[in-house]
Amino acid sequence: MNLLDFAELAVKTCQKLGADECEAFIQSQQTVEVVLERAEIQNERFKTQSGIGIRVIKDKKLGFAYTSKLSEESIEETCRAALSLAKVSAPNPEWVSLPSKEKLPKTPDGIFDPEIANINGDKMLNIVINAYDAAKGYDKRVDIDDGKFSAVLNEIVVANSHGVEAQEKTTRIEGYLVCVAKEHGETSSMAYEYDASTMLKEFLPEKIGRSAAGKALSSLHPKKVESFTGKVILDSDPASFILFYPVISSVNADNVQRGRSLWAGKIGEKVATPKLTVFDDGLMPKGIGSLNFDFEGVPRQKTPIIIRGKLEGFIHNSYTANKEGRKSTGNAYRESYNMLPIVAASNFVVKAGRRRLAELIEEVDKGIIVRRFSGNVRPESGEFSGIAKQASYIENGQIKYALGETMISGNAFQALRNIIDVGCEIRPTEIRAYTPPILVDNIHIISKQ
Amino acid sequence: MLLVKIVAVEVLKESLPKRLEGYVELRYHKRQTFNVSVKDGKIDTLNSGTVEGVCARVLTDGSWGFASTTTLEKVDEMLKDASSLAKSSKPKKKRVVKLASLKPHVDKYETPMKEDPRKAGKEELVSLVIDVDKAVRGFSKTIVSDTVTFNIVDDDLVFISSEGSEIHQRIVRCFGSVTVVARENGNIASAYESIGGQSGLEVLEKTPLMNAGLTAAERASKLVSAKVAPAGYHQVILENRIVGLLAHEAVGHCAEADLVFGGSFLANKIGGKVASEKVTLVDDGFFPNGFGTMKYDDEGVPTQKTVIIEKGICKGFLHSRETAQHFGVNPTGNARAWNFEFDPIIRMRNTYIEAGDYTLEELAEDIKEGFFLKGGLGGQADFNGEFMFGTQEAIKIKNGEFAESMRGVTISGNAFEVLKNVDAVGKDFIMRVGLCGKEQVNYVGMGGASLRTRVLMGGAK
Repeated sequence: MNLLDFAELAVKTCQKLGADECEAFIQSQQTVEVVLERAEIQNERFKTQSGIGIRVIKDKKLGFAYTSKLSEESIEETCRAALSLAKVSAPNPEWVSLPSKEKLPKTPDGIFDPEIANINGDKMLNIVINAYDAAKGYDKRVDIDDGKFSAVLNEIVVANSHGVEAQEKTTRIEGYLVCVAKEHGETSSMAYEYDASTMLKEFLPEKIGRSAAGKALSSLHPKKVESFTGKVILDSDPASFILFYPVISSVNADNVQRGRSLWAGKIGEKVATPKLTVFDDGLMPKGIGSLNFDFEGVPRQKTPIIIRGKLEGFIHNSYTANKEGRKSTGNAYRESYNMLPIVAASNFVVKAGRRRLAELIEEVDKGIIVRRFSGNVRPESGEFSGIAKQASYIENGQIKYALGETMISGNAFQALRNIIDVGCEIRPTEIRAYTPPILVDNIHIISKQ
Repeated sequence: MLLVKIVAVEVLKESLPKRLEGYVELRYHKRQTFNVSVKDGKIDTLNSGTVEGVCARVLTDGSWGFASTTTLEKVDEMLKDASSLAKSSKPKKKRVVKLASLKPHVDKYETPMKEDPRKAGKEELVSLVIDVDKAVRGFSKTIVSDTVTFNIVDDDLVFISSEGSEIHQRIVRCFGSVTVVARENGNIASAYESIGGQSGLEVLEKTPLMNAGLTAAERASKLVSAKVAPAGYHQVILENRIVGLLAHEAVGHCAEADLVFGGSFLANKIGGKVASEKVTLVDDGFFPNGFGTMKYDDEGVPTQKTVIIEKGICKGFLHSRETAQHFGVNPTGNARAWNFEFDPIIRMRNTYIEAGDYTLEELAEDIKEGFFLKGGLGGQADFNGEFMFGTQEAIKIKNGEFAESMRGVTISGNAFEVLKNVDAVGKDFIMRVGLCGKEQVNYVGMGGASLRTRVLMGGAK
């Protein structure tokens, strides 16, 4: 039996057992992974896993069960488990329906690369060695601490009792490296670099190595500045976490409907500087989160979120959309087959500005650049505070020196209005936000005096 | 412990073959979960399921290889994959791995339980979560949204090695969480609390979910109209519920031998003074009901109580078999894997600062101006000892008296300095549940008693 057969079997079984509606979600994954530990290659992993999650609705009551065992017997058992959970559940008066069948858009370009799908242990090891050599070769003072590189072949199948049937394969290669620099008995902070791509050719391990090494070096011999409130350049990673994690949370229709978003009822209003435009683009060519359907089998789409500073829309799955009698934006997501679909961004893409990072630095008379943020962001209120890692002090358009024991704090929603400039070097970050460096004003820069 | 004959384990044993060279370990892992969550008065999830898989780790000629699968019929293939990865990667690895010797163990262990969740009906749990949700939403008019969850994670683990170990463990964890969002006059605030432990369902009597719900509800409704705490270097009391975060982030990570190897701030400090004499800091692999407790780690090493700092003096580090060999010490039982998809790495288990003898009032009494910090959020450690973690609430202390509540902020500091500044530790010891990410996530216990020190607060102007 192939994966689709198993999904169909699950749907038929649930119907036979008396479910009003039902859905099967299957995920099958193959991963080749290399782990670095204590400055060297530690281990190489070859992993295969698959499983099925079965969602049933009976009298507006929801039940969900999953198993990693794909066999006729275990699927029947799991269908029964889902139904018996639905029986002890309580009805949700707001339940409308699972999605119905729709014509799917064309599969986005560049989401499947046979070179990643067929990668072997040796080839993967060579990729990691390229990153390793690039970091070690960058400067003698640089050491690798740890890291991990993974090549993943992912197959998704969704089928439900309304005739939805979707199946697709995607690939992804991603990796991170943590470097430190050492000189005269002093150790820098841990510098972290991450990158991801759907295509092997576009994944540049040397760049990860060089960049992690460069960041580690840039934090050697730190000094302190007196606390002040002013300009901060957030590199892609900190920008995505500090600014766009609260944005993604606030445009999530589930949060909007539950009173957890300050942006409820604010569509059409100005929420950010006119320099900011953001889309959720589930169909972006070569996007890490791209697919022609979401994890409920609903067509993915490109949804405007913020256009020139104005709030344009929210992201939905079928449940939040049904509650408002509107169409889902195709943002149903599950981390794995063992979870129910939630609302999540697909590819959260910030439109590139004109200036390169070097030019943003030139714009700053007095401020700092933050290359990693080790802190907390409260997505509802937008409050953030934490350590500015690999931060440097900037004066008169020039990087002066590394900063140590320096924190930054502020509010993301205010910061969105205080954006001075949006950079042009966009890159994927770990929250699937494609973000450039961003220059923001009025951030508190705190140091121990 | 009732041992069901696990087919996959039998297959594993048969395929632990003589034809493979070197050291081979095989792990079987079946994780059964139950999860119920109620959001804003409606049941959002009611789930159960099973993930079952096996993995092999092979050490040939000083080189590791690892393979895992959920297709239990493919155990032989998996073993071959692990073995060929170990061989093929050998020429490209600089390190030659050696393991500290270990006496093979044949043993069984099960989480001590009064109320085994496998035997319990789930209806009561569903109504408990519904009741907590009701109480939380009814706490105050300002509360607009809540999520209440309760989870059971029931692991069957089997470890078999070519050295002759065969260890069966069943580890059961029951835990819950509550998030609350309050709104008033255009302001919004959220709060979070969690409960649980390694235990049967009786953990709900020891740490009631309702208490977590009401604590979070009270905090969110109190903070909705509060301001963000001010930035700066302040004298603080860390509440007992968050002292475990200090133990974990400021010290624990830098005591993990892989970080020590790289030169973390604790490297070469054994026997040296790294904290005030008030600080005794322990990572205990067998703490009763600890979230990170196991009798054996995932390399088959018996767990133990590992003292990292004793009265301010650095005593030891956390080891796997591999790092123990490198450092010339005994393995401490800290090699842990999240599931069958990962080979074990050095992790903390239950990390805590031992209790002192102060009451909360006594801790506050000598503070002219400072803050009482409550409610934990995410944290992170750095090689160089600079750590951080988030707090939810900062209660002002003025001349020894508790004053108004403010919104909590992330705190940071240099571990050395913060530990040297610990001048008083309370007697209100508590062990809590946590989840820590390091290459792979894992369940950990974090504990301690309220204490007084100085930290940098990343707050408002």
